[in-house]
Amino acid sequence: MQIAAETLLNGLMLGALYALFGLGLSLSVGVMRMINIAHGDLIVVGAYLTSVVMSEAGIGALTALLVVIPVMFALGWILQIILFNRVVGKDALAPLLLTFGLSIVLQNVLQEMFTADTRSLQAGDLAGLGFNVLGVSIGVLPLLSALASIALLGATHWLVGHTHFGRQARAVSDDPGTARLVGVNDRRLFGIVTGLIFSMIGVAAVLYALRTPFSPTAGPERLLYSFEAVVLGGLGNIWGTLFGGLVIGIAQLFGAKIASGLGPFFGHLAFLVALLARPQGLFGKASS
Amino acid sequence: MTAVTVSSANFRTALVRMSVSAGLLIVAALVVSIPWLSTFAVQRLLVEVFTLFAVALAWNLLAGYGGLVAIGLHVFVGVGAYSLFALSNELHLNPFLLLPAAAVFAAVFAAVSAWPMFRLSGAYFAVGTWVLAEMMRILTLNSPSLGAGGGMPLEAMSDIDRWTRNAGVYWAALLVGVGSLVVSRQVLRGSLGLALMSVRDSEPAALASGVPVARAKIALWVLCAVISGLAGAVSYMNTLQVTPDASFSLNWTAAAIFIAVLGGIGTLEGPIVGTIVYFLLRETFAGYGAWYFIGVGLLAILTMVTAPGGAVSLIPEKWRLDPFRIRRRMAGSDLDRSASFPQT
Repeated sequence: MQIAAETLLNGLMLGALYALFGLGLSLSVGVMRMINIAHGDLIVVGAYLTSVVMSEAGIGALTALLVVIPVMFALGWILQIILFNRVVGKDALAPLLLTFGLSIVLQNVLQEMFTADTRSLQAGDLAGLGFNVLGVSIGVLPLLSALASIALLGATHWLVGHTHFGRQARAVSDDPGTARLVGVNDRRLFGIVTGLIFSMIGVAAVLYALRTPFSPTAGPERLLYSFEAVVLGGLGNIWGTLFGGLVIGIAQLFGAKIASGLGPFFGHLAFLVALLARPQGLFGKASS
Repeated sequence: MTAVTVSSANFRTALVRMSVSAGLLIVAALVVSIPWLSTFAVQRLLVEVFTLFAVALAWNLLAGYGGLVAIGLHVFVGVGAYSLFALSNELHLNPFLLLPAAAVFAAVFAAVSAWPMFRLSGAYFAVGTWVLAEMMRILTLNSPSLGAGGGMPLEAMSDIDRWTRNAGVYWAALLVGVGSLVVSRQVLRGSLGLALMSVRDSEPAALASGVPVARAKIALWVLCAVISGLAGAVSYMNTLQVTPDASFSLNWTAAAIFIAVLGGIGTLEGPIVGTIVYFLLRETFAGYGAWYFIGVGLLAILTMVTAPGGAVSLIPEKWRLDPFRIRRRMAGSDLDRSASFPQT
């Protein structure tokens, strides 16, 4: 019983991080109708960037975010302006294949720069901290990362729902032609949106790298978890993405209890089963 | 135009046709007799060429004609290879005889997987198939009966002498490569091809005209699964060992995508051109390791941005050949268009 409760809690905390992975993907699908195949690889890029900043400047992981977030924003903005804007808005195929190529490039650049060895970020004093509630032990670091993920999801929800920027983004998402007619510069908006997405990827990268060792080829799996969280929750629904992430996290950790190597398998299985039961996602509106 | 010029034109076409057929016959005879003419190393490389070509052709059919972009196409490579190895080792049968069984396994797997996968569409379908491939990889990785992470050898092959084994695998690969091209051409020229092209051009219009869209897509999915499954089975007969990480590897689909993008999506010539370019690049630059892959990735990105139609699209329309005769043209399209409307 205690083990089950502990697995459930850990699954929820892991799932919140997956939801944060999915948040960027959800925004990019929602606003630009584009799935970025390199999404997972960019999480890994963020992790390596943090690692470099930490060792060069001799600072902690959370302080390093002050550098990582602006750098990731700039990277996203530049990529959108010079590359993604050329293919976005046509069919689904072009952005998909373009980012697929980008994914291969990123993985091999990382391998060339940092070798194929795994790395991890030092969490410092936080690493070993934990406390007990009714005999169930909770790590401080996973809890903080889960809370930070939920806070970011909330902030994004507010940004999309209640600001001028959010209204523009929703307008472009609903009808790019009309949005352009009433004065929305969609290409410039896309640059800012992708910058924001990359900043979130930076935060997700640090939280991820603090708890799991990473290597240049770790990206595709992160992409799949993000994707599952987004589709499971229902497209364009940020709280749905959180729920989707939680389901995947819990399924993975309970799966790993059944057979240690099968954790991710049960995550994928939960995704497939949910897909058969509710193709539009758990919180999605049925279309047509 | 006088009768004389017509008959001389006919004579010239007949002459061209005959010399083309004669040339094809010579090439075919040469290709079939490769095992007597070359080394094992050349044969092994050609097995790679033919099998990868088949997978790229399948990917291109799905993406270019069915609108089904599958990043997880390698799942069928793995399923084909594993079903052949497992059956041959269990039943102690000659693996060449079991190739049809591998095709059946891939087809059944495709039909079953269509049930969840076809609930997704577009980019979601693309990533969804990748999830499926990952599931199969993890499952075989954790199946002791399939050799887990170390994979399994093809035991029955040890009874066959080296020359026969290499020649047999080469002919099997040739059959898969050429066979998949011939079958694809026949399918595209037939009613399924017409249905698929109408879906590609406008799905709502196809539906409204009574095209069985879902059935056509599933038929294409199963066909491409069989092609990829056979390619996988033959490819791992070549290496005599199948492992989860190699056979259920994204590298298969990545190479297929690169070939299709570079050659031209939605044509049959595209994968041929793309495969030649891919292997020329690989044999020349593979020694550079990660830099080679960076170059390949950048080339794919550049192609998507500057020439989304691939190498084939760079040839001007009027010089473009249609060697497989799958393009459909409106009859008398050079005439005034209004003349072709029925007049009442």
